[in-house]
Amino acid sequence: MAIKFLKQDQLPAFLGYLAEKARVVAPVKTDGVVQFEPWTAGKDVELDVLLAKQSPKEWVFPQTETYLKFQYSTVVPEQSDEGEDAAEGAVPHEMIEVESLNEAPTQVIFGLRPCDARGFVQMDQVFGGYGGFYFDPLYNARRAATTLLAVTCRDPRSTCFCAALDGGPAGTEGVDALFTQVDGGFTAEPLTEKGETALGFSGFADATDAQTSQADSVKSEAVTKVDAPFTLEGIRDNLHDNIEDKGWHDLCMRCISCGTCTYVCPSCYCFSINDELVEAKGERYRVWDNCFNPLYTEETSGHNPRAQKSNRFRNRFSHKFWYYPDKYDSLLCSGCGRCIMHCPTRIDIREVLQVMGSPRAAASGEPTEAEGKEA
Amino acid sequence: MADSGKTCLTLDDVVAGASTARAGKKAGNSYLPEVATVIEIIEETPTIKTFRLRFDDPEVQKNFSFMPGQVGQLGIFGVGESTFAISSKPSEKEYIQFSVMKAGEVTKALHNLSVGDKVGVRGPMGNGFPVDEWKGKHILYVLGGIGSAALKATIEYTLEHRADYTGISILYGATHPTNFTYWYDVEEWQKRDDIELVLTIDRECDGWQCDVGMVPTVLERMAPKPENTIAITCGPPIMIKFALISFENLGFTPEQTYTTLEKRMKCGIGICGRCNVGPKYVCVDGPVFSLAELKELPDEL
Repeated sequence: MAIKFLKQDQLPAFLGYLAEKARVVAPVKTDGVVQFEPWTAGKDVELDVLLAKQSPKEWVFPQTETYLKFQYSTVVPEQSDEGEDAAEGAVPHEMIEVESLNEAPTQVIFGLRPCDARGFVQMDQVFGGYGGFYFDPLYNARRAATTLLAVTCRDPRSTCFCAALDGGPAGTEGVDALFTQVDGGFTAEPLTEKGETALGFSGFADATDAQTSQADSVKSEAVTKVDAPFTLEGIRDNLHDNIEDKGWHDLCMRCISCGTCTYVCPSCYCFSINDELVEAKGERYRVWDNCFNPLYTEETSGHNPRAQKSNRFRNRFSHKFWYYPDKYDSLLCSGCGRCIMHCPTRIDIREVLQVMGSPRAAASGEPTEAEGKEA
Repeated sequence: MADSGKTCLTLDDVVAGASTARAGKKAGNSYLPEVATVIEIIEETPTIKTFRLRFDDPEVQKNFSFMPGQVGQLGIFGVGESTFAISSKPSEKEYIQFSVMKAGEVTKALHNLSVGDKVGVRGPMGNGFPVDEWKGKHILYVLGGIGSAALKATIEYTLEHRADYTGISILYGATHPTNFTYWYDVEEWQKRDDIELVLTIDRECDGWQCDVGMVPTVLERMAPKPENTIAITCGPPIMIKFALISFENLGFTPEQTYTTLEKRMKCGIGICGRCNVGPKYVCVDGPVFSLAELKELPDEL
């Protein structure tokens, strides 16, 4: 497919063209914070800041997504004479309607980075029922209606490590069309049918040889700027062998279990499901959850299979580099480095992988007394 | 990444808008519960009730089938869902049943249900017991307390297909005579001479005719032979722990020892991520595991 060129000053017109048929989502700076937001005419797309604070994950997998509405014909009894327990569990009767929601507007995400796009490809495995598991209609409807127009990372940050994970600043996995900033504008390479369609805007010209070769050198130069502090080889097996290693206790020491790393991550997908009921009307929704929260696994009896912070800490990294690859033949990390940037206690996934993803001396799984007590 | 020949499902594999129960072998919207009505409530013990439910759509009720040991998500709209073993007989076509111990938010609300109330059911989920592979073997059930609910369908299935198995033994323990679930069925089991049934309570009690002693102790006293036998246990975690030790003492290998696990679950379909034990999800890879499989997993039970 032919490489095209878009002049810098044509970008708003291009987004306007896309917005005629779809919701356009792009990184926009508001009050100093760059976030993926619906783009409307007049908004400036922010591409100088490499990564928006959060990945565009929420546009395909919303933070909170109501998927069921229901209606009872009577309201919840307010008081019960059987004591507090009975009142707490009081339920309405005679349901009249249950409606399932599956909203999936056509949308184009412009300005995401190759690591962000790769995050979607990684999540596609679990939501797509890879290997015969369940298919997630909510995610897939949105995913199918989404076009990803990524922009090459011209100037990767010190926290980027995509190159260590077989990715790169001009990676194309999951990307429908790849834009690269060159003199005077962007080259644009359509990579899929969706990408080809998106590039149907008449403001594109065919890229000149000079422009394509400049794009090539931007890409190859960017690759040299990405740190690759470890290799993937052996990580899975070492995480497996080191599961009871004391290193986990040391590494998790300063973690405050806030879960920020999971929320900013382009591929953390774990969620909770909750119900709300107001009088006779209610909703069931799913909402992002994080595996650092003790309540994530705590059972009604009070038993918690991951009672210690180190167990929960271990789960996140093992999930991304061992459990998920075993089940879905895919990593669950694209090396964007957001978790490193936003961790309030400066926990660095690269360090965790260097330490726990390497062979360790004789494993010792005995927690310290203090560790055993905290919950 | 490695190509193992596994592929994702596509929208073509999906019956649009259908629940798991309705979609049958194809994929549907597995988050969508089928509305069912409570047709009977049995007070099993002071804290356990059995709910018999009939799907509001007769077609769904007619076509609902499950493997013994599979689970379902039972919920009240507006309160939430929890995972329970399906405790009716797989051959029962008139209703499906769940037995629920009152413990947390959802189970308290379930205990407040009356006959005629509406609930939501998703399922069946999970792997179930490999009862067909076990044909020609002796099956030994060791259960305690609410653990009976997880094994009830399987016990009934093997009793219905008694001729397929060389023997059936059931060791069932409870803290007190009033804490046995399904007593009406236990009385039927007592009448049968083609099964070995041992009932035990933790402490002596007036009028109690059967064994006294903790389940693992009674198990070692029973001294079942491991040859050609499958041992299955479910009960409170502490009972399972010691029953597994007893099995080992009796010479049972990890490959012939099975249990069924519980975890805090949400989606029930291997997506939401919370019921994992290492790389296995209890909701789709379990809830049934052999001890050999469990030994491969991180100690996060």
